[in-house]
Amino acid sequence: MVKVYQSTVLNAPADRVWRDLRDFNGLANWHPLIVLSRIEKDHPADKVGCVRNFQLKDGARVREKLLSLSDFDYTCTSAILDGPMDLSDHFATLRLFPVTEGNRCFIEWSAEFECPPEKAAALTEAVGEGMIQTGLAALKKRYG
Amino acid sequence: MKITVLQSTIIDAPIDRVWAVLRDFNSHGQWHPTVAGSRMENDVAGDVVGGVRRFSLSDGSDLREQLLSHNDREYTLTYCILDSPLPLYDYTTTIRLKPVTDADQTFWSWRSQFRAPHDRAAELENLVSRQVYEAGFRGLRTFLADQAAPARPPVPEMEATSLAAAAGGEHLPSRAVVAATAGGPEVMALSDVTVPAPGPEQVRIRQTAIAVNYIDLKHRRGIAAGFDFPVTPGMEGVGEIIDVGQRVNGLFPGDRVAYMNREPGAYADIRCVDADACIPLPAGVSDHDAATLLKGVTAAMLLSRVFRAAPGATILIQSVAGGVGHLLSQWAKSMDLIVMGTVSTAEKARFVRDRGCDHPIVVAEDSRLAADVMRITNGRGVDYWVHTSGARGLDTALACLSRCGHCAVIGDRDEQSIPIDLKVLKQRSLTVSAPVFFDYIDDRTYLQRLAHQLFTKIQNRTIIPAIEAFPLSQATEAHQRIESRRNMGAVVLSPGL
Repeated sequence: MVKVYQSTVLNAPADRVWRDLRDFNGLANWHPLIVLSRIEKDHPADKVGCVRNFQLKDGARVREKLLSLSDFDYTCTSAILDGPMDLSDHFATLRLFPVTEGNRCFIEWSAEFECPPEKAAALTEAVGEGMIQTGLAALKKRYG
Repeated sequence: MKITVLQSTIIDAPIDRVWAVLRDFNSHGQWHPTVAGSRMENDVAGDVVGGVRRFSLSDGSDLREQLLSHNDREYTLTYCILDSPLPLYDYTTTIRLKPVTDADQTFWSWRSQFRAPHDRAAELENLVSRQVYEAGFRGLRTFLADQAAPARPPVPEMEATSLAAAAGGEHLPSRAVVAATAGGPEVMALSDVTVPAPGPEQVRIRQTAIAVNYIDLKHRRGIAAGFDFPVTPGMEGVGEIIDVGQRVNGLFPGDRVAYMNREPGAYADIRCVDADACIPLPAGVSDHDAATLLKGVTAAMLLSRVFRAAPGATILIQSVAGGVGHLLSQWAKSMDLIVMGTVSTAEKARFVRDRGCDHPIVVAEDSRLAADVMRITNGRGVDYWVHTSGARGLDTALACLSRCGHCAVIGDRDEQSIPIDLKVLKQRSLTVSAPVFFDYIDDRTYLQRLAHQLFTKIQNRTIIPAIEAFPLSQATEAHQRIESRRNMGAVVLSPGL
């Protein structure tokens, strides 16, 4: 199993950031690699089990299922159902932690998946740097 | 009121450096501004789960905390408070670190839950957040900055004080009272002995006061089963800890303690006892007063467990001028009971009148005890009766009980069998019990609670123990004094006299 973990500090309170992140359909609003997103079957975006169907900048489509959403500890977990990358059993967690000193928050984004060993390095790069780090950098910019 | 406190920060250092400091449960003395000193009990390492650290705070008080979990993989620690000068109840806290991957920084959160009295909740929440957690964040930042600065000398390690090394674990010369054979008080004599280092779960105590209890007299007479002669009598003492065994928790050389022990051997300058039997003494309770522990908690046990006494009820205490009696009458009075007591002389009657006994009754040969009790209770009878004379006078006791009254037979002097006719009890729903103290205190928390109540009452002068002190060399005289029933209050041997 491959594990990827990235984290950073955002210059806004956890409550403020969570308002944006809890929207499972809101990825396209802030992630630079994602252009269009919708929730399948018109389910609400905070219904656990709903599937988001989004399009990457390069045109590829990804389907992800919402596995858990917690407003109590600012956590969202999801799994990739279909996507362009050669990986399986993908499982991602996004979590915020309040930083009381300075009224900021700490955000961590981790993923784990299975893939053929020879592709592990490339996929780690694609998921870790491409998807996750790009997203975190965008959030960092967004909240100053 | 339940309180959750969460404080978190970002430290400008990689997680491995921060964790290297925090993972040591004993490191607070080096970096936390309100912790003047920290040491691990029993000299265990700072990452031993279950280990107990003892803080001396900068205001002079002490705090004991126990490590509940330690996880190098998740960078987490959980611990709880065992003893605190503040009313922080059920306090558990978790320290968690997380790496900030896009900078060489560390996220550090400190989260705790505890209960506090309503009127102090805000104050304590503020204290924990600010003076403990936020001050800790600042302290660690300074500490890491100092560590990083190459010009500064390294911060000195806390010196691990080897506690047991003080006495070197050697045999110590001592004196002990030895009863060579079963017999009268004269079989006891003082002799020179040596006391070995304490066992792994023992402490060695230099005694300052030794209680003389009625059970000691039984041991000396050879009535109590299971004791081989020669024997050093004594179940209870007070003193200062010299050294502690390897597995002893929470007791230190220099601590003042009182103990009660099923094993005899207290009539000595120095002895080893099980650490479990020791109860630390608060300031304001003298060594001699603390030597009434067994008698005092017996009184408390009778009132709270055996009788479940209620205010306004009546109690009659036989031998109210004795060791247990004079404490019991003061305790009963503090609970607003109406206290009667039997004494043998007018002098003792005066003595107990000053010690909570509303109605001392001087009993002479074949006196009119029953008539006196009925007169005092307006013919109703007494609710609780503490009986110390065995079979003798038990009929009178039962006749004097009120409906649903309760007679507790304690300190039975002759160990004769006592016939009881259930028909007599049934006539007025009477209870006769024979409480043996040691059966009630196997629950150690209960014992500690009773001891705490006793010491508090002694501290605030609700109970003033009367002590007759004898030098250790006069154990014989001390026993004679009790056997001739001349003592007023508790009899104590004092090695310092």
